[in-house]
Amino acid sequence: MAETGGPQTQVRLQLTTRDRKLALPESLGPILVPSSLRRYALSTLVNNLLGTEKPIPLEFLINGSYLRTSVDDYLTAYGFSAETTLAVEYVRALVPPTHVASFEHDDWVSSVDVLSSSPSNARGDDNGHERILSSCFDGYLRIWNSSSQVLATSPSPSDGGHTSSVTSSKFLSPTKLVSSGLDRTVRVWKYRADGAEASGKVAPQLELYGHRGSVNSIAVHGHSNRILSASADHSVGVWSTSKSHAPEAPGNLLPSASARGSKRRKLDQSVTVPQRGPLSLLEAHTEAVSEAIFDSKEPTVGYSASWDHTVRTWDLVTSALVDTRTTSNALLSLTQLPELHLLAAGSSGKDVKLIDPRDAATTVSAMTLRGHYNAVVSLAKDPESEYGLISGSHDGTCRVWDVRSKRGGKDGMVGESIYTIERESAKGKGRIMAGEGVKVFGVCWDKALGIVSASEDKRVQINRGSGIVSQRSQTAA
Amino acid sequence: MASSEVKKKRKAVTRDVDSGPAIVSGDEPGFAQLDGTLAGSDDSEIGDNDDSIFDVGSTDESSEPVEDLSDDGGRDSVGSSDDGLSKGSIDQKAKIAQPVDIEVETTALSGEDPDDEEEDDRPNFRVQKDANGNDRYIYDEIDPDDNSELDELGPEENTIGNIPLSYYDHFPHIGYNINGKKIMRPAKGAALDALLDSMEIPKGWTGLTDPSTGKPLELNEEELNLLKKVQMNEIPEDGYDPYEPTVEYFTSKTEIMPLSAAPEPKRRFIPSKHEAKRVMKIVRAIREGRILPYKSPEEGGEDDADVQNYDIWANEKARPEHIMHVPAPKLPPPGFDESYHPPPEYLPDKGEKKAWEDADIEDREKEYLPTDHASLRKVPGYDNFVKEKFERCLDLYLAPRVRRSKLNIDPESLLPKLPSPEELRPFPTTCGIIYRGHKGRVRSLSVDPSGLWLASGGDDGTVRVWQLDTGRQIWSVSLSSDEAVNVVRWRPGKDAFILAVAVGDHVYLCVPPICDPDLEGASLEVLDAGWGYSSSTSTTKLPLTWTRPSNKLSDNGVHALISLGHTAKTVSFHRRGDYFVTVCPAPSTPSSSAIAIHTLSKHLTQYPFRRRLKGGGPPQTAHFHPSKPILFVANQRSIRAYDLSRQSLLKILQPGARWISSFDIHPTSSAISGSDNLIAGSYDRRLLWHDLDLSPRPYKTLRYHQKAIRAVKFHPSGQYPLFADASDDGTVQVFHGEVVADMMSNARIVPLKVLKGHKVVGDLGVLDIDWHPVEPWIVSAGGDGTCRLWR
Repeated sequence: MAETGGPQTQVRLQLTTRDRKLALPESLGPILVPSSLRRYALSTLVNNLLGTEKPIPLEFLINGSYLRTSVDDYLTAYGFSAETTLAVEYVRALVPPTHVASFEHDDWVSSVDVLSSSPSNARGDDNGHERILSSCFDGYLRIWNSSSQVLATSPSPSDGGHTSSVTSSKFLSPTKLVSSGLDRTVRVWKYRADGAEASGKVAPQLELYGHRGSVNSIAVHGHSNRILSASADHSVGVWSTSKSHAPEAPGNLLPSASARGSKRRKLDQSVTVPQRGPLSLLEAHTEAVSEAIFDSKEPTVGYSASWDHTVRTWDLVTSALVDTRTTSNALLSLTQLPELHLLAAGSSGKDVKLIDPRDAATTVSAMTLRGHYNAVVSLAKDPESEYGLISGSHDGTCRVWDVRSKRGGKDGMVGESIYTIERESAKGKGRIMAGEGVKVFGVCWDKALGIVSASEDKRVQINRGSGIVSQRSQTAA
Repeated sequence: MASSEVKKKRKAVTRDVDSGPAIVSGDEPGFAQLDGTLAGSDDSEIGDNDDSIFDVGSTDESSEPVEDLSDDGGRDSVGSSDDGLSKGSIDQKAKIAQPVDIEVETTALSGEDPDDEEEDDRPNFRVQKDANGNDRYIYDEIDPDDNSELDELGPEENTIGNIPLSYYDHFPHIGYNINGKKIMRPAKGAALDALLDSMEIPKGWTGLTDPSTGKPLELNEEELNLLKKVQMNEIPEDGYDPYEPTVEYFTSKTEIMPLSAAPEPKRRFIPSKHEAKRVMKIVRAIREGRILPYKSPEEGGEDDADVQNYDIWANEKARPEHIMHVPAPKLPPPGFDESYHPPPEYLPDKGEKKAWEDADIEDREKEYLPTDHASLRKVPGYDNFVKEKFERCLDLYLAPRVRRSKLNIDPESLLPKLPSPEELRPFPTTCGIIYRGHKGRVRSLSVDPSGLWLASGGDDGTVRVWQLDTGRQIWSVSLSSDEAVNVVRWRPGKDAFILAVAVGDHVYLCVPPICDPDLEGASLEVLDAGWGYSSSTSTTKLPLTWTRPSNKLSDNGVHALISLGHTAKTVSFHRRGDYFVTVCPAPSTPSSSAIAIHTLSKHLTQYPFRRRLKGGGPPQTAHFHPSKPILFVANQRSIRAYDLSRQSLLKILQPGARWISSFDIHPTSSAISGSDNLIAGSYDRRLLWHDLDLSPRPYKTLRYHQKAIRAVKFHPSGQYPLFADASDDGTVQVFHGEVVADMMSNARIVPLKVLKGHKVVGDLGVLDIDWHPVEPWIVSAGGDGTCRLWR
C-alpha cells in the first residue's frame, strides 16, 4: 500500500541503547518513521540524530530479534499493529566472521589455544605476536604463528611426550604450556623461542599423575600457577605447576607401576621428567567430568560440568563442593560469562544452557541456546563483548551467539545464533550426517586473531572475530 | 390525585357515619351496613370523575335542587343525604343533610391527617445550624407510599381485578379488600325491597344490576338523553340537525325562451330505417330457427348408461417396502454447467473441448460437454437416452442387490490412548557420532560399563575400541584374518576391564591397554586367577581347557583363549561378571556342547545341557536373568527359563515367532512389578513383549519392521524405560516400555523413534545394538561398516 505512492505507513519507534556512547538524548520521545525503512536507513537516521562525524553502522533489535527485513515486513511477520510504539534497541553492527586461514595438521585436532599479543590478556606477552597452540590426536602439541608456520612441536612419547592423544592444551604463560591427554596425564612444558622467529623448542617440564581416566580438559590460572583438570574418572584435579609445591606422584598410577610389560612401556625413556601428583582431587561427580574452569574473577572458585548432567561449584582452597545444578542432559563443555554471572554449558542435547551458579538463582537454566544439530563440545567467550559466545559442536559448525537475542520459548528463554561458521573443508557439502569428518573439538576466541577452531578435518581454522558481537556497553566512560 | 382525595374523603364519611350513627340520627340496626354499601357503590363510580370535593361543596351549598344531578357530587350528596332519611321532601332533606355531611368530612379529615391543610402552607423543611454555623435545611422524610398505586385502592375496595363477578355467585362474598378480608355480597331481600319501595326512585335508576360490579346500575344524564333519542327514533348523534335548510345547487325555474331558434331535426320524429333493418335481420333468423332461445344445460346429460367406470385405486393401501428395495441414489443437484444456456465461464474453450473429445469415454471427467443453446426449444434430443435406459434396466436386472449396513465407528476411538513421544523424553533421536574404520560389516558392539569406550567387532576379524564421545579409534587387534568377529561383550562391573570376543571357534578375553594401571592390574588378576585351577582341582577330564594366546596377541592385550570347537554366535555375561554363556547355534554343533557356561575365576567350561531342547531346532541365544539365578535359553521357536540352583525347567515361552533371533530380559521388572518381562525379536519381523507371569504367549506383538529383527535390547540402567530393536531394513526403532508396580496394569509400550542412517549393504542393515549404561544413548553396528551413536 505504501508503494502505491499514497501516504506511507508510519511507525512509532522508541529508540534505546545500552551503549552510553551511542545514547540519544533522553528528551527524544518516540519518533515516527516510514515503515518501509530497513536496517541501513534506520542506521543512517540514528547516525544523523547522533550527529556522528563518521557513521557508525548499527543493528536494530526489536523484541529480542535482529531486524533483517524492513520494519513493515517485521510488523507483518510478527503480527504487530503499525500503531503500536515499537521498542527498538540499537547496537553496533556486527561483522560476519569471515574465514581467514586454515592450518593443516596430521591428525584430528582436539583443542586450540591462543597466546594473544593484546595487553588485556592476563597472561601477557613478550614479543607482540600471536601464538597458536594446537593439540592433536597424534599426541603432539604444535605452536604456530599467525602465518601458519609451525614454530615448535612437542617431543615424541619416547622423549617425554604424550603417549596417547592430547585432549587439551593451554598457554600458562608465554613460556609455559600445559596439556592433558588420553594417557591420563597432565603435562607442563617449557616453550623457549629460539632467537629466530620461525623456530622454538618445547621441552617437558613436569608430568602430573593422579587421574585414572583420560583427562578431558584443563584450565589454567597463570598467576597462581594452578591447573584444573577434568577427567573421565569422575574427578576434578587441582594441580600446581611448580615442582616444589606439588606433592609426590601416586606410585600405583605411574606407567612403571604396571606389572606387565607392554609395547608402550618398552619405549626407553631418553629423558626423565619429574613426576608429581595432584594437590587435590575433587570427587563428587558420578560420571565423567567433561570440563572444569576457574572463575575468572575469583581463582579459588572452580566450576565443573559433567556427563552426570550437573554443573558443580567448588571451593578450591578447601576442596569443598559448594553447589550443584542439575540439567537434563549430559554436559560436555563449560565456560563463564563473568559479567552476566552466568555459566554456559554445552550439552549432548544439542544446546547450550546458560546456568546461574549463584545461590539466589531459582531456576537452573536461565536460557537455552538452540541451533546446533549435534553435541556442543566446546565453548568460548567473546573477549570484546560480555554477551558474545562461541560454541563448537560435533555437527561441524561453530556458532556465534548473542545472549541478548532471545525470545520466550515453551520452556524458558531460547536464544538463536547470529552466525554459523562452517568448516572450510566442508563448504558447500550441506549438512553432514553426525558431522562426520568435520566435528569441531575445540574453539578459542582471541581478541586479535579471532575465532580459532580445531576440528576432525585435521585443521585449525581461523575466522575473523572482531566486532562480531556488538561491544559491551561503555559504563566506565 | 384529586380523585383519590375525593375517594378518601368519601370513605371517611361512611366510616364516620359507621362509628357515630347518632350524629345522623340512625334508627335502624341495619342502617350502617346499608350506608356502607351505597357509599361503596358511589365510590366506584366516582372514580371516573375528576371533580373535587370543593366543587361539590360549592354546588351543594348554592342550594341547587338535588334532582338536577348536574354532577356526581350532587349525586353523592344524594346518596349520603338519603342515609338518614326515610321519607319527606328531598329538597329539605338535602339542605339539612348537607351541612351535616360536610361537618363529618372535616372531622374525618382532622381524624386522619389533622395537619394536612396547614402543612401545605408551611415550608416542608426545618432550618438548623450546622457545625460551621451555616443554615442547614432538614427536610422531612418522604413517605414513599404516597404515590404508589396500591394506596389508591381504598381499604374496602374489591381487589379481585377485572374478572366477571359471576365467579363469586356461589359464595357469600364478592371479593376481597386490600387487607384480604372478604367483601360480603350486598344484602338483598325483604328489608331492601321495603326500603326501595318506600323511597322515591332516583333519576337514572334502572333497576338493573351492573354485571361487573354487582351493584345497581344507574344511568347518568347523558346516557338517559341518549336512550331517549333512541326511543324517539332520532339520530342519537349529538349536533345532528334533521331540518337543515336546502341549498339550491341547480335552479328549479323553467326558462321561457329556448337557447336556439333552430327547428327540430327530422330524425327526432321519423323512425330509423337502419334499426328496422337490423331488427328484421334478427326476426328473420329467429323465424328460420337460426337463433335458438337459450336453454340451460341439463345435469348428468353426458352420462352414458352403457359405460361403467371403476376406481381401481379406491381401496389401495400403502405396502411396506420390499426387503430388497434399494432406493435410487440421490443425485447431486444440477450445476450451472448442466444448464442448456450456461454462463459463458462454464463453457469449454477449444482446448478443453478437444481434450474432452480426445479422451476415452472412461477417462472423461464429465460425461457431457457444457453446450450453449439459444433457447430450450433448440436443445436437441439426448443421443444416449435409449442406451442409458437400457443399461439402467440391465443393471437393475442383473445386479445383485445386497444391503450392507455401514458400521459407524470412529477409527480414532479404536486406537489405544498412548502418550505422545514428546512427553516421554529423553530418548535417542539423532545420530551423534559415526565410528568408521571397520572393513566389511560390523557384527557386534558393546559399550563398556563406564560408558566411555565402545568395542566393536566385524567381518575383518578385528576388534576395535573407540572413544565413545569423539569417535576416535583407540585400540584395535586383529584376531583372525579369515573369520569374522561374531560377538564382543564387556564384562559387567567396574572392577575390571575385560572384553570377551568370539571369533570363529574361539573366545578371546582381552584387557585393552587403555585403562589406568590399577584397573588393568585388577583385570589381569581376574583373568589370571584361574590358571592352574582346572589342573589342580579337577579329577575328571574337562571337556576343554583355557589357554594363553600367543605372545604377539598377549602384548596387544589378549590374555586368554577358549577353543570351543564350534562357532559361538552369542556371548552373554552374568551380571556379576564371573560367568558367561556362549551359544553355538550351527546345526552341525552337537547338541550337548551347543550351550556352554564359562566360569572366569576358575577357567572352567561346563555344558549344562546334554540333549537338544525339544521343538524349534538348535539353540539360538541365551542370557542370565539380571538378578535371579535363572538362565534363559532360546531356540528357534521357544524360550525356556531354567532355575540354575535347582537345575529345573521353570517356564516355556511360546512367542509364536518362527525363528527367534535375540531376546532380552527387563533389568528391573522383577523388582518393580514382581514378574519378569522379556522382549524377543525374530527373523520374521516381529518384536514380542512377554510378561512371564501373564502368559506363555506374548503380551504384545509389534510389527514395525520391513525385514528381520537382528537384536533387541532393554536400557540396562532401569532409569529410562526404553528398549530398542535393530533390523535388516537399516533402522533402529526405539520404544518406551514402562513396567509399572501396579499388578493390575500391564506394561505400557509406546513406539518412540525410528533411527535411520545405516545403509543396507547386502541385505544386512543393523546387526547389533547396545545401550549406553547410564545415558539414554544407543549405539548400533551396521552392515555398512560403521557404528553409530544415537543420542
